Amino acid sequence: MSKFKKDSGGSAPAINTSSLPDIVFMLLFFFMVATTSKESDPSVKIIKPEGSSTTDMTPYKQKSEIDFLYLGRPLNKARAEQYAAMGMEYMLFMDNVVQSTPDLLYNSSAIQAWKLDKFESKPPRMTEPIESVITCIKADKGAPSGIIFDIRKELQAIDALTIAYAVGENGKK
Amino acid sequence: MAKRDIPEVNAGSMADIAFLLLIFFLVTTTMDKDQAYIRNIPKKIELVDDPVIVEERNIFAIQANSQNQLMVRGSLMNDPDEISERIIEFYRENEKSNNVKNDFPMYSRISMPEINALINKTTTEAEEVENTPNALPDIIDFKWRQVAEWEKKKTALEMLETDKLAEISVQAHIRIEVQKATEYELFAKIQSEVEQAISELRDDAAMKIFNESYKSIKNRLAMDKGVEDREKIQLLKILYPARIIEVTPKR
Repeated sequence: MSKFKKDSGGSAPAINTSSLPDIVFMLLFFFMVATTSKESDPSVKIIKPEGSSTTDMTPYKQKSEIDFLYLGRPLNKARAEQYAAMGMEYMLFMDNVVQSTPDLLYNSSAIQAWKLDKFESKPPRMTEPIESVITCIKADKGAPSGIIFDIRKELQAIDALTIAYAVGENGKK
Repeated sequence: MAKRDIPEVNAGSMADIAFLLLIFFLVTTTMDKDQAYIRNIPKKIELVDDPVIVEERNIFAIQANSQNQLMVRGSLMNDPDEISERIIEFYRENEKSNNVKNDFPMYSRISMPEINALINKTTTEAEEVENTPNALPDIIDFKWRQVAEWEKKKTALEMLETDKLAEISVQAHIRIEVQKATEYELFAKIQSEVEQAISELRDDAAMKIFNESYKSIKNRLAMDKGVEDREKIQLLKILYPARIIEVTPKR
């Protein structure tokens, strides 16, 4: 009677999963594009202070017009104690070199060398003019402000005149 | 030879491979944005013989000592949250009309004919300097920058559609003085309060003039560089300039 053939029992038809990889790849590409990888993993512990009305650094990161400096206590306990005994509680971390704050920072131009090295490793369109390349300082809450001004002095000497103080947006860690 | 059928490649594990990659990226992605306050370091200059004398009324000094105690314009402050209100007061007090007796910066009010006259004057001056032999390039540059400055004010006033442009004294600034041992948390808090006050002032003006928030104009400008948005931001910056001096601590 009916025009439609009734499914006469038997097993359920297999679901076609051939488009599943496509879907997953699409998700994958989304995450690959959206990801901005961290420049490096700092070996100092930083709890950011909080603040409001901040500026988002993402556009600068995408253009690589920003370098990060980290300032905090060393994660390595033994090292932290060792340096604390020498009166160096907070250490400066730039890329993969840990600089003991008072010694190397005060005596040599470690920051200048680091920053100039950064300039050379980037194409000119990212580093010109030098004044507008941002140096972002990520400092721990408890760090003394004096170090910030020491960093400023070093940067001033090489005309890297834009600085940014990193904070956590209010309410978020 | 007979044509042989190419056996079908089994793509069933393709999904697994993609999933593996996907999970790797999911785990390594950090979604937290980097938030910061951008500041400029002044250019290094030779010692100036006569430092410019700044009137007390033009300084908004925020001082913090090594015990993390705050002092704003000479009086102690216990709650750092009040700083932003005080800064807004600093900008607002003489905005409508100048009061010589109070302790806040003066406003200058300039009209369109005056701006036009100044543009003409500075342009001729700049051309004169350019035509003199042995003129220092720095001075020529400075003169032309002056012209550009007035041109900016002209566009600002055109957008405002009022007869006069009220501008805070050029000397008015916010001065942040900390000591070496002041905790970074307090330093960042001060920066946060300053930024909050400035953006609140600009936001108010943006709402009044353009009927949209300062932040949305700024975000739009970051996306594409439209001339109109740039002029809007320029106007807001002329109305409420953020002149921040961070004093290098001596002790």
